[in-house]
Amino acid sequence: MILQLTVAVPVLVAALLATAGRWLPRLAVDVAAVLAVAAVAALAALTLTRAPHHAQVSWLGGWGPATDVGIPLVADPFAAGLALITALLTLAALLFSWRFFTEIQAIFHTLMLLFLAAMVAYVYTGDLFDAFVFFELMSVVAFALTGYRSEEPSTVHGALNFGIIQSIGAYLTLAGIALVYARTGQLGLATAGRALAGTGGGHGDALVTAAFVLICTGYLVKASAVPFHFWLADAHAVAPTPVCVLFSGIMVPLGVYGIARTYWATFAGLVPLRAIAVLGAAAALLGAVMCVLQHHIKRLLAYSTISHVGLLLVGVAAHGPGALAGTAYYLAGHAGVKGALFLAAGALLNRHETVDEHELRGRGRGMPVTGATFLLGALGLAGLPPSGLFAGHAVTEHAAEELGWWWFTPLAVVASALTAGAVLRVWLGVFRGTPAEEDPARDGRDHGGQDHREGGHEDPETRPTLRTLPWTMVTPGLALLIAALLAGLIPGGPVGAAAAMFTDRDGYAGLVLDGRVPHPHSTPADPWTASGVAGFLVTVLLAALIAVYAVRRRASERTGGEGVLARAAAAAAGRLHALHSGHIGDYAAWLTAGVAVLALLTARF
Amino acid sequence: MRARARTLLFAAGAAGAAALFTAGALDLPHFGGAVHPYGDRAVHQALRESTTNTISSVNFDQRAFDTIGEELILMASAIGAVVLLRVVGKEAEDQGAAHRHGPAEVSDALRIVGYLLLPVTLLIGVYIIAHGAQSPGGGFQGGVILGTAVHLLYLAGDYPALQRLRPIPVFESTEALAAGVFVAMALAAAGAVPALNGAVGVEVGCALVLLIGKFFEQALLVREPPGGTS
Repeated sequence: MILQLTVAVPVLVAALLATAGRWLPRLAVDVAAVLAVAAVAALAALTLTRAPHHAQVSWLGGWGPATDVGIPLVADPFAAGLALITALLTLAALLFSWRFFTEIQAIFHTLMLLFLAAMVAYVYTGDLFDAFVFFELMSVVAFALTGYRSEEPSTVHGALNFGIIQSIGAYLTLAGIALVYARTGQLGLATAGRALAGTGGGHGDALVTAAFVLICTGYLVKASAVPFHFWLADAHAVAPTPVCVLFSGIMVPLGVYGIARTYWATFAGLVPLRAIAVLGAAAALLGAVMCVLQHHIKRLLAYSTISHVGLLLVGVAAHGPGALAGTAYYLAGHAGVKGALFLAAGALLNRHETVDEHELRGRGRGMPVTGATFLLGALGLAGLPPSGLFAGHAVTEHAAEELGWWWFTPLAVVASALTAGAVLRVWLGVFRGTPAEEDPARDGRDHGGQDHREGGHEDPETRPTLRTLPWTMVTPGLALLIAALLAGLIPGGPVGAAAAMFTDRDGYAGLVLDGRVPHPHSTPADPWTASGVAGFLVTVLLAALIAVYAVRRRASERTGGEGVLARAAAAAAGRLHALHSGHIGDYAAWLTAGVAVLALLTARF
Repeated sequence: MRARARTLLFAAGAAGAAALFTAGALDLPHFGGAVHPYGDRAVHQALRESTTNTISSVNFDQRAFDTIGEELILMASAIGAVVLLRVVGKEAEDQGAAHRHGPAEVSDALRIVGYLLLPVTLLIGVYIIAHGAQSPGGGFQGGVILGTAVHLLYLAGDYPALQRLRPIPVFESTEALAAGVFVAMALAAAGAVPALNGAVGVEVGCALVLLIGKFFEQALLVREPPGGTS
């Protein structure tokens, strides 16, 4: 019953707010929404404590495995942990927006609650088609939230791109589910997995490959792997900042979860995961480079999400409990750090009505907490011990080395250093720099490309602009940041055990169908390795170099000096910007090409 | 990207995706076979629960949780439409343009047919919902009929009457309320097919009225240039 309640509470409160929102006072709406989310967090925490020992499975409507129809909700420790993270991020976002959006009834709160419910249901469901339904619900709510401030054309543009690309991906996922269903006559992850393993022999045939590729396409669009990633920056740039917290913190990583869950519960051993590794690694690199090239802070953070979620994908593709345990640490740490950074960006937007790095230069001096968030956030992205990202790097790296993936460590270091360096640069410029009287750099820097239409004045999300930041806008970010920076201290034993449970297909089937909690052999995850700490030191050094170089270069650009190398770099940057054109046709063409690449890399010839 | 490059990229990708899908589809079970594993189980279970309409049994009993998700998608879409289309009203106010809806030039035949069909269609909608558990039909289908029935008034050319019959706020609230009732019922007592049918019917009907209403508002808005004579 707990699992049903975890989904039902936010839905019912959302329905209540949508029904009566126009007559309720604002305070009542806020309190009801926050209480509902807190209740979800409590339920998820309870589930998390019980999951390792007692089977947290409930078949809806009393249909059991004996009838062979019906939908199970299943919470293994990772699923419960994800539900908890989702609820905590939503709580932070709602508290932050306590003074936000006074204009339209209780619609914002309704949508946020529906979003939470959709993500929790998606995480808990043990059924392929049901996962698709809640995946779609998640998307539809996300489109509406992205377009929330629809007065501005760029908002509509971003939301439309998001909507179209996500929908194409989702249809392909549905086509893949249909293939599995046609072959097996099953929709449950566990039952379909058993049936596929029974028919396919040791390896999957063309149908299994096609089904896996198609299902993954929708999830990879959500997880913004290259070349499915284009929508993400457009959507993040225009979505309200509390919504970005949920997008980057959990919605995008849930795409990774979808792939991991579908693979281990249903396709384990039938298809190779190298395609996921390749596309994830590409996202890690491209996202990091694009991140450095941005000066719209929300866009910059969005590209860093692409990069870090790319690393998550590589961790899943490393195909083992060790790497998955590292990925879990990484996801938790990333969710907190990125949430805090977006909230800090929201605070800047509120005070200065812009999130353009150049316009903000030196104007953050009166905001010590926000400044500290950016500094610590940058260090967190670089993997400051004992943050979740540090533990994630160390554990995944160890597993990747055992696999012979020598390239993982350099990839992770470069991606983290570039993204951390970009955030550090923002901190140096906005919070330590001196304000420029008039900004000559701004007009002279056009490399072409769309991010420039984003620059300049934006309507503040809060109205009227607040004199000082209220505690409701400061505390949530701080809490998220602190939680993320301590996430590496989560004991490695349970995390390792949870990862072993997650990667055990028969164990999962036993859990769902027989209610037995599997206890496969597991090794505890151990983040505290010498190479892990060394990795952080190298990363943070590189990040500092990148940030200082960027600031210096900007200064020298202002005086007009520019070498051949700089010009070549600028040309390359221009190319990259042009690639991210904002043209929906381009994005769709890249998506189809991505499907083909995925198929080529997955197929066995 | 240039249009040509885009087309080439798309063609290459689409060819690859098509090859993948074709290869997969060739491994499907043959068309028209006698084995329908899920269908057999679903029918068996529906009959065991004495729901004669198997589709309703699947929708509101065996896979009621999917239906909850779909209900919520509809609710979220309706709310999303309210959010995204609210700009239209603002535009009109901001520009000081007249906000009125154009007169309808409808032939009398159409007008009469519209008025005659309205009650009949409403009745059919209710019937389809109410009999969903026994015969073909159900909340979704009936709800759509109900939602569109109201808009026969538009065909009949009586937009003011339609607006009176269709106070948007009431439909917004009722829609959300019905969705809440449905979720509560589906989780607490899945299997109460007729009642669930009813809740879905109300929800779908209201959501449809809401969506069509919002789109009408946008489509029928006549922008008169300020100071124009017409």
